[in-house]
Amino acid sequence: MKIRHSAAMLTLALGLMAGTAHAAVSPSELVGPVTDYKIYVTENLDELVKDTKAFTDAVKAGDLAKAKALYGASRVHYEGIEPIAELFSDLDGSIDSRADDHEKKEQDPGFTGFHRIEYGLFVTGSTDGLTPFADKLMSDVLDLQKRVAGLTFPPEKVVGGAAALLEEVASSKISGEEDRYAHTDLFDFQANIDGAKKIFELFRPLIEKSDKAFVKKVAANFATVDKILAKYKTADGYEYYDKVTEADRKALSGPVNTLAEDLSKMRGKLGLN
Amino acid sequence: MIEREKNHDRLDAPASPDRRRVLAGLGLAGGVMVSGLAQAATTADTDAHVTDAPISDHMREAQPFHGLHQAGIVTARPANGMIATFDVLATTKEDLVRLFKTLNERIVFLTTGGLPPQLDPRYPPSDSGILGPVVVPDNLTMTVSLGSSMFDDRFGLKNFKPARLSRMTGSPNDALEPELCHGDISVQICSNTADVNIHALRDLVKNMPDLLYLRWKQEGSVPVMPRKPGAPAESARNFLGFRDGSANPNSSDAALMDEIVWVQPGKDEPAWTHYGSYQAVRIIRNFVERWDRTPLHEQQQIIGRVKATGAPFHGKTEHDVPDYASDPEGKATPVDAHIRLANPRTAQTQKNLILRRPFNYSNGVSKAGQLEMGLLFICYQADLEKGFITVQKRLDGEPLEEYLKPVGGGFFFTLPGVRDKKDYLGRPLLAAAGLA
Ligand code: HEM
Ligand SMILES: [Cu+2]
Repeated sequence: MKIRHSAAMLTLALGLMAGTAHAAVSPSELVGPVTDYKIYVTENLDELVKDTKAFTDAVKAGDLAKAKALYGASRVHYEGIEPIAELFSDLDGSIDSRADDHEKKEQDPGFTGFHRIEYGLFVTGSTDGLTPFADKLMSDVLDLQKRVAGLTFPPEKVVGGAAALLEEVASSKISGEEDRYAHTDLFDFQANIDGAKKIFELFRPLIEKSDKAFVKKVAANFATVDKILAKYKTADGYEYYDKVTEADRKALSGPVNTLAEDLSKMRGKLGLN
Repeated sequence: MIEREKNHDRLDAPASPDRRRVLAGLGLAGGVMVSGLAQAATTADTDAHVTDAPISDHMREAQPFHGLHQAGIVTARPANGMIATFDVLATTKEDLVRLFKTLNERIVFLTTGGLPPQLDPRYPPSDSGILGPVVVPDNLTMTVSLGSSMFDDRFGLKNFKPARLSRMTGSPNDALEPELCHGDISVQICSNTADVNIHALRDLVKNMPDLLYLRWKQEGSVPVMPRKPGAPAESARNFLGFRDGSANPNSSDAALMDEIVWVQPGKDEPAWTHYGSYQAVRIIRNFVERWDRTPLHEQQQIIGRVKATGAPFHGKTEHDVPDYASDPEGKATPVDAHIRLANPRTAQTQKNLILRRPFNYSNGVSKAGQLEMGLLFICYQADLEKGFITVQKRLDGEPLEEYLKPVGGGFFFTLPGVRDKKDYLGRPLLAAAGLA
């Protein structure tokens, strides 16, 4: 049928453009930043294992106050490297899914991980019955560490991770939906931003050569976000998300969405698919 | 947790140094596709797929963007409309100017159509692509209006507020939801198809993330009618099953529109507002299950018209004029009928006429399992107080209220038209305030 034929022609026409000029970055130039990123991820996972151990130990010991106090910070090293963690979708699901991802919500047997324990600690207000979830979380995190150790990092996944982290912020951090029971979203918010900024900084020298204005704009938007988040820092972490004013949520949305748009161009700027 | 990435098709192909040739190729391919569509409409379907695109001959219809007034007000209402409101994220005067210039540029492109910039496939595409590689106007209009919040302390516009622009306040029957109300800027997006409106909205969202924050949106539609040659045009029906728009003032009568719709020089409005208008938007839920369980006679008494024809009780067709003078006690048309309260048709109430341009909306199901649908009421007037606000006050307490619940909306000032290519949306205001 005619429509389909012409659609095929169109694909062809678009395909012809694949080779148009972009920043001349050779694959060998990517090796350094990708290696550095793997080191960064490995270090984060070491920290994640430590934090998860302390957190789950508190849960299992029935120390409600301590478990609640540790919750916000325990996730930080996960959120910062989430684009890599989510390459293992089974683990991302069992470690970090939210009740919405499950048909029976909080009551769903498939709802496990950080947010299931968060629900127990902050809504039920007790560590009762959380031991199995704590054990599972600990073993999932160790499994993640092992799997990442054996992983070759694809450059396009690493670079694309910066945009993915910003999408995460734009879709669920701005609204305060990540840690809906504990309201510790700002830990995750900052961790996502830091994780994205790390990737940006690693590849920045390669992009700077060809597009100074881009680099400047991205850096400025990161700085704006950091500045607003800094207002909510406390001695041992961050204010609850409900404390973030409507004006600041809106003020965050501009730079966050602009970062999401701009970082989505990083793969193109580095000539990666 | 992060949404899992879908496997996307990749358009890898050998390099082509000649970009112009590529673009020409694309234009050609686009052209073939359009004629391919036309072909499919005429030849018998020997190879039919249920998912073949519906055919329309109207996709190249375009409304002029430049003019004394913005399009989308006295423009004939197409089948689909949307109101999207935004809050301004710009914090400096420079960024405010950039906002209006960018908005202007996007609207010019979207309402004209054409080929969006072609990028290396390793980049996200410049356009969402939902209308295909070549953007069609499909009768699109995008009408930009400002809420009273724009005239606060942020940009020094305080002294330039249109004289009658206020923040919408609730009427007694309202149950306003804050997240469906107000906004610094409203954009009314209308075209032949819902998809063209969505394409336009996504274009703004993609191109202006640092300047605009989407606050709420409501889409609606009106049922299309077959053409009846020789017969007068008919009004579309709303979700109560009544014709809506019958008594609307004649939008092709320019002198009448100058009186009812457009802010004119020589009054007490700031000069920059001239040839603009006031826009009132209301999201009015209809309790349709209950309405459908109401006897026809009662429905007609509540509205003041015959349901089947739309005629007033004194006439035969919807265009006949009700005669209240000979019916002071409301024996024919009850005195509390919607149309009689909305327009008592006395010498004194002539100044309260408004131009209505509503769409029907349908959103889903309420917690109680009832249909969430109603009217995206939009009206324009040269004087918001004499227009919508006065008419609504007269309607407060009307019998129709039992079937209505206004839940959102806002008041806005619709900017004057963009005169030519050197002009841009909002320029008269910015110039008056010394910003442009
Ligand atoms: C969901 C809510 C509403 C429904 C279902 C509705 C329905 C109708 C219908 C069926 C008519 C008669 C046909 C016509 O002339 O268009 C009408 C007329 C009219 N309505 Fe409404 N309406 C609604 C809300 C409003 C509101 C909020 C206003 C203004 C505050 C308004 C103002 C008018 C006016 C001015 C007329 C024309 C009366 C005349 O000139 O005879 N309506 N409406
Ligand atoms: Cu997450």
